[in-house]
Amino acid sequence: MNTFIVTRLILKDWYLNRPLFVAALFTGLLTLGAVSAAKGTQIAVILGVIVLATILIGMGAVIMSSMVNERRQQTLPFVMSLPVSYLEYTTSKLAGSLLIFFVLWLALLSGMIATILVTPWFPHGLIPFIVIMAVEILVTTSLIAAVSVTTESQGWTIGVTQVGGLALNAVGFSIARMPSIGHTMSGPTIQWSSASIFILLAEFMLIALMIGIAFYVQSRKRDFV
Amino acid sequence: MTDLAVQFAGVTKKYPHFALTDIDLELSTGGIMGFVGANGAGKSTTIRILMGLVHQDCGTVDVLGHAMPMQQAVAKRDVGFVSEDMRLYGPLTLAWHMNFVRSIYPGWDQRYAEDLLRRFDLKVEQKIKGLSHGQRVKAALLLALARRPRLLVLDEPTTGLDPVARREVLSELMAVLADEERTIFFSSQNTLDVEQISDQITFIDRGRIIESANKESFLDRWRRMRLMLPPNAVLPRLPGIVEVGGSARLPVLTVSRFEPAMVAACQDAGVAVQAVDAMTLEEIFIVNVQNRREREVA
Repeated sequence: MNTFIVTRLILKDWYLNRPLFVAALFTGLLTLGAVSAAKGTQIAVILGVIVLATILIGMGAVIMSSMVNERRQQTLPFVMSLPVSYLEYTTSKLAGSLLIFFVLWLALLSGMIATILVTPWFPHGLIPFIVIMAVEILVTTSLIAAVSVTTESQGWTIGVTQVGGLALNAVGFSIARMPSIGHTMSGPTIQWSSASIFILLAEFMLIALMIGIAFYVQSRKRDFV
Repeated sequence: MTDLAVQFAGVTKKYPHFALTDIDLELSTGGIMGFVGANGAGKSTTIRILMGLVHQDCGTVDVLGHAMPMQQAVAKRDVGFVSEDMRLYGPLTLAWHMNFVRSIYPGWDQRYAEDLLRRFDLKVEQKIKGLSHGQRVKAALLLALARRPRLLVLDEPTTGLDPVARREVLSELMAVLADEERTIFFSSQNTLDVEQISDQITFIDRGRIIESANKESFLDRWRRMRLMLPPNAVLPRLPGIVEVGGSARLPVLTVSRFEPAMVAACQDAGVAVQAVDAMTLEEIFIVNVQNRREREVA
């Protein structure tokens, strides 16, 4: 693996995505500020969570579809004219896209946790649920990335993004109804139950599995352009 | 160390509705191969295999001594590639693209790049999306040439260019030819372009190589013989007659293996040779393809 060329390609994608990244980060931080300023009003909290989730899922879809765009905009022959193998290209796309998204994700998740901890309006017991749902967004994004990379199809990428968004609601609803998580959400302390740890582990395993499958499928492809 | 820059041996690639069959090609270091074929003949597929972007089903491909597609990353360090369907990043400037490519290729020649900027009349600060098609092709060519590649692979680079832009691109290619170590593989539908710059010509049709030889040999071997056949005279049996046209009294023979002795053979048979015309590469290509297709049908 030529890490030099992979790094150059990641930096290229970072540069191409930077206006979108800055806009999403700015909007996310603005939303957190607005939620804090609303002093824990229920409607503000609900709206804030919806906006943040939309930013993350939307940005995830946009960043992850960069491989589809590379083909659609016919820049793939230019990239593949460089001294790079297709596996190195795949690595740069997956690692680069997930890294860009991860930085945004981490910034917004940290901001959300900080808002909960610093302001007196929110119960600290909400944090495990927030973390599980944030990692679920990471799972959805990894799924979009895997589908985008392997199918290079805009239709499939859009379809998976929509299904992922719907699944996120279902997962959130189900987790909130689990007694070991739901009953502690409004409490004053953070409680990591064995169920919440298990769900987090399962989510990270799913992320690893999807990335692994994406690499496996790519390594078996014979035609790239 | 081989003196072949490109070597295809028995390469086959099958798709549901198209097959590239038994491709054998050899391009020596420093040679310029014009790869001519109609739309859908298999030019781009061959070039994609050459670049390692498509894996052949069978056969071997060596580029600059590297087996493709396995060693494509190493081989492409010395290859400059420009294709008609290649686009640069629209929102970014030419300067960004130059810096990007320069950061990857240690052999990037900045002085030459600046020289090409002037010759192509390109502005580095201009965004790619603001360039015309001709300017985009020139920008892609600049990015490929300034790497100082040992092998330049051009897939229909002049398609869609206006006559002025086409001439500029071709004249720059001619200048590149001054470097005898540089090898060029140039595909085009435009036989005039190929005739201008190539020293070796390969025709491809329906996924098969139908002829490959050096340009002079092509142009020397193919002739149109305009004859006048007196009553009761019979055309002599001549080698390499590809097509017989004209009328019964004034036949026109297209021959692929012309020799001056053919004129004498006609005259000995009482047939008057009115003219022996040289053929353009386009005429040779068309007759060659038609002849092959007719033979396939038969």
